[in-house]
Amino acid sequence: MSRLFYPRLAATSIRKNAKTYLPYMLTCIITVAMFYMITSLSMNKGISELRGSASIYSVLSLGSWVTGLFALIFLYYTNSFLIKRRKKEFGLYNILGMEKRHLSVMLFFECLFIALVSLVIGLTAGVAFDKLAFLLLLSLFDTKIPLGFEFHWGALLSTLLLFGVIFALLYLKSLFHIHLTKPIELLKGSAMGEREPKTKWLLAILGLLCLGGGYYIAVTTENPAAALAYFFLAVILVIVGTYCLFAASSIALLKFLKKRKRFYYQPRHFISVSGMIYRMKQNAVGLANICILSTMVLVMVSSTLSLYCGLNDIMKTRYPRDILMHTEDCDNASVEALNQAVDSVLGQKNIQEKNRVAYTGLSFGAMQQGSYFNTNPDSTDIVDMNAVVDLVFLPLESFHQLSGTDQVLNNGEILIYSDDRSYPYDTLEVFDLKFTVREKLEQFEQYDLVTANATGTMVYLIVVPDNAAIEQLDQLQQEVYGENASAVEYTLGFDVDAGQGPVVYRELKQTLDTDGRSVRLYCREDQLENAGALYGGLFFIGIFLGMLFLIATILIIYYKQISEGYDDRERFEIMQKVGLDRTEVKRSIRSQVLTVFFLPLITAGVHVIFAFPAITRILLLFGMTNKLLFALCTLGTFLVFALFYALVYGVTAKIYYKIVSSSPTRADE
Amino acid sequence: MAILEVSNLKKVYTTRFGGSHVQALSDVSFSVEQGEYVAIMGESGSGKTTLLNILAALDRPTSGEVRLNGKNIVTIREKEISAFRRENLGFVFQDFNLLDTFSIKDNIFLPLVLSNKSYQEMNRRLMPISARLGISDILEKYPYEVSGGQKQRAAVARALITEPQLILADEPTGALDSRASDNLLELFNQINADGQTILMVTHSVKAASSAKRVLFIKDGEVFHQLYRSGTAEEMYQKISDTLTMIATGGARYE
Repeated sequence: MSRLFYPRLAATSIRKNAKTYLPYMLTCIITVAMFYMITSLSMNKGISELRGSASIYSVLSLGSWVTGLFALIFLYYTNSFLIKRRKKEFGLYNILGMEKRHLSVMLFFECLFIALVSLVIGLTAGVAFDKLAFLLLLSLFDTKIPLGFEFHWGALLSTLLLFGVIFALLYLKSLFHIHLTKPIELLKGSAMGEREPKTKWLLAILGLLCLGGGYYIAVTTENPAAALAYFFLAVILVIVGTYCLFAASSIALLKFLKKRKRFYYQPRHFISVSGMIYRMKQNAVGLANICILSTMVLVMVSSTLSLYCGLNDIMKTRYPRDILMHTEDCDNASVEALNQAVDSVLGQKNIQEKNRVAYTGLSFGAMQQGSYFNTNPDSTDIVDMNAVVDLVFLPLESFHQLSGTDQVLNNGEILIYSDDRSYPYDTLEVFDLKFTVREKLEQFEQYDLVTANATGTMVYLIVVPDNAAIEQLDQLQQEVYGENASAVEYTLGFDVDAGQGPVVYRELKQTLDTDGRSVRLYCREDQLENAGALYGGLFFIGIFLGMLFLIATILIIYYKQISEGYDDRERFEIMQKVGLDRTEVKRSIRSQVLTVFFLPLITAGVHVIFAFPAITRILLLFGMTNKLLFALCTLGTFLVFALFYALVYGVTAKIYYKIVSSSPTRADE
Repeated sequence: MAILEVSNLKKVYTTRFGGSHVQALSDVSFSVEQGEYVAIMGESGSGKTTLLNILAALDRPTSGEVRLNGKNIVTIREKEISAFRRENLGFVFQDFNLLDTFSIKDNIFLPLVLSNKSYQEMNRRLMPISARLGISDILEKYPYEVSGGQKQRAAVARALITEPQLILADEPTGALDSRASDNLLELFNQINADGQTILMVTHSVKAASSAKRVLFIKDGEVFHQLYRSGTAEEMYQKISDTLTMIATGGARYE
């Protein structure tokens, strides 16, 4: 026997199974290329010249971890399709006299070929497109950095290592499969598992409960900080729920339909209901995977896209003025000195300032219990994250300056304002102080300015009569919060003409530093670049992983269609023999395939709709308040995704029909 | 009265690239009377499967006519052919052709459901048939849960439930053990005794010997036919003799 026998046999069998192997190799190539790209990007030195490079690096390396993990899971999954399809072939070899160890050698060469081809092509493509990805990243930051061709040995090594391990694992798995099964079972391999599934009521109910719970949490959690924490719980619940839903609830529903005789025994329902039961059983996990992947793509791309698009808005909200400074030195002399320093810098540089605001204020968090604001979280058993609010206290004097009004407050009286929820009570208690609400303000134009630093959506702006009241509150909150206490701050901010922000910022910074003042100074333009780096990086990762997941979705769909095509061919033939029209069969199968195909997309859409409120609140943490923008981004992402999805459907449906109608009976017509 | 008339049937297969022609049927003519039980015998490649496919309207002849109750099924339009097949013909196949996705009962109901019959109507028809075929207690089971003989009886029930003009059976005992085969053939005799016309294609002498008439096909023509006289054993002997003669190339006699 020639030494080349096994390699040749392996090569032939890959070629003969091109229909299933080609997409698999394509998957391997794409995952290799993408992993190399993201890993090499995370090592790219050019990025260090960007502003906020640290956050970009960390986002990119996170992306490379996710890609690696995903590659492992996904290749494992697609490989199992292949093994299932080829069981019969292995069985035949086995019966023709190839022992299992010979099969192992052949499989080894197959695996080796695939690994070599995918690594060589994948890495070549990765190196080639690496630059492209980097340019895309740069274009997201509106930056131009001349950059040569970069090649990273580190990225190459980690790619080789990761995929070496993955391919070895896949080979071991195939061996395991072959060694465990008897030749006869191998021969029947792909025909196994045709039993009608039992209704798993427990699982079905669990699925509905999980899904309902996840949705409930996503919709009802109102506090952004809480939303982030609960969101992960909701995500897990929804994932579990989706799997249960596809695996059990769908079958339970179909079986219920089957029991309804008048409905079931109609030509259209008869074939599709019984067929669907089997399809759901075989495809439940695959469909749930598609659904979850689709949801991830949608959520990721839409949220990062809206962050990226809303960057300017976000920065406007977070930094209401071009130049902002905060200081804890609130005594009159310090404030006066600060204002003078600012004036002199502006005068020196001959720069016009606009929209100058200044105020003193104190803000801290508390847990709302009716009209009582609890500042001691340990005092209650249940910490209700939804009840956590921000309290912003302003002395009347600052309020007058900001609003241009001239209300009067007596001792122990307050004015209160909140953005969306009216405060229903007539009193307000915090610590052991009790205030009477003199007026609930209808309108306060500088609200956004005052609450720019607040993290929650629920912010109460409370105006107290004088600085003494502020100081009293400050002392009390320092006692309670200790190290975590905030402080009374004087805030000064103003706008300048476009492009002058950084100039003023640097000059002011120098002046204040030499004066030895502890002032936190922000320049919106500088912050914009920093945040742009982070959000641009996130958006890049969103697109990158979105593409990866999209490819995965396409591949899963493709394999599903192929393996179902082979299964359906037989049924298709029998039904025709018994007297079903060819067109009727085609219609019935089409409707089943359509349902199975678009079920995950629709479910993903529903997931996204329910996730929408929660994500909106999480985006608030990033300062993203523009709900309309996010809604538009989500809608746009969904439409683009659906378009791709439909495109894939069109292509794979064609292949599917080709397989199904390749039956010998009346094939000539 | 002849229920099925086959005249001058010819079928030529052309290979895909139009190169060579294979003549599966050269000139087949015969007729089947109402209530007859006819077996068609022939070796592999004699054209009997082609003949059955044409009779079942699954395939069209190159030339010739097939009349079922006077209606030429060769000229039925493609759109109506499935309904025609469903309403006039019952099929029993060698490999049962039951769908794994349906219970036995639903498999039997399949042609009726396609004809939009109500559930009550279907049930009314099923009861006597299932009792008769001895499958009443496996109706709710699935094809993979029952034996080959039971599967074939379910397939017979599916063929009978439409009250067809003609039952076409293609090697019905081919996948059964001898005991199940005997049961099935006995069943065919009973159904036939009730007036059901049956046309069976087989190369099992045993199966053919249960029929009332046996047609022999060789090289695409009806070569010979035998009428049943006497017991099944005698018929068996006669068929064997005929087959031997055909195989050894004896002269044709009528």
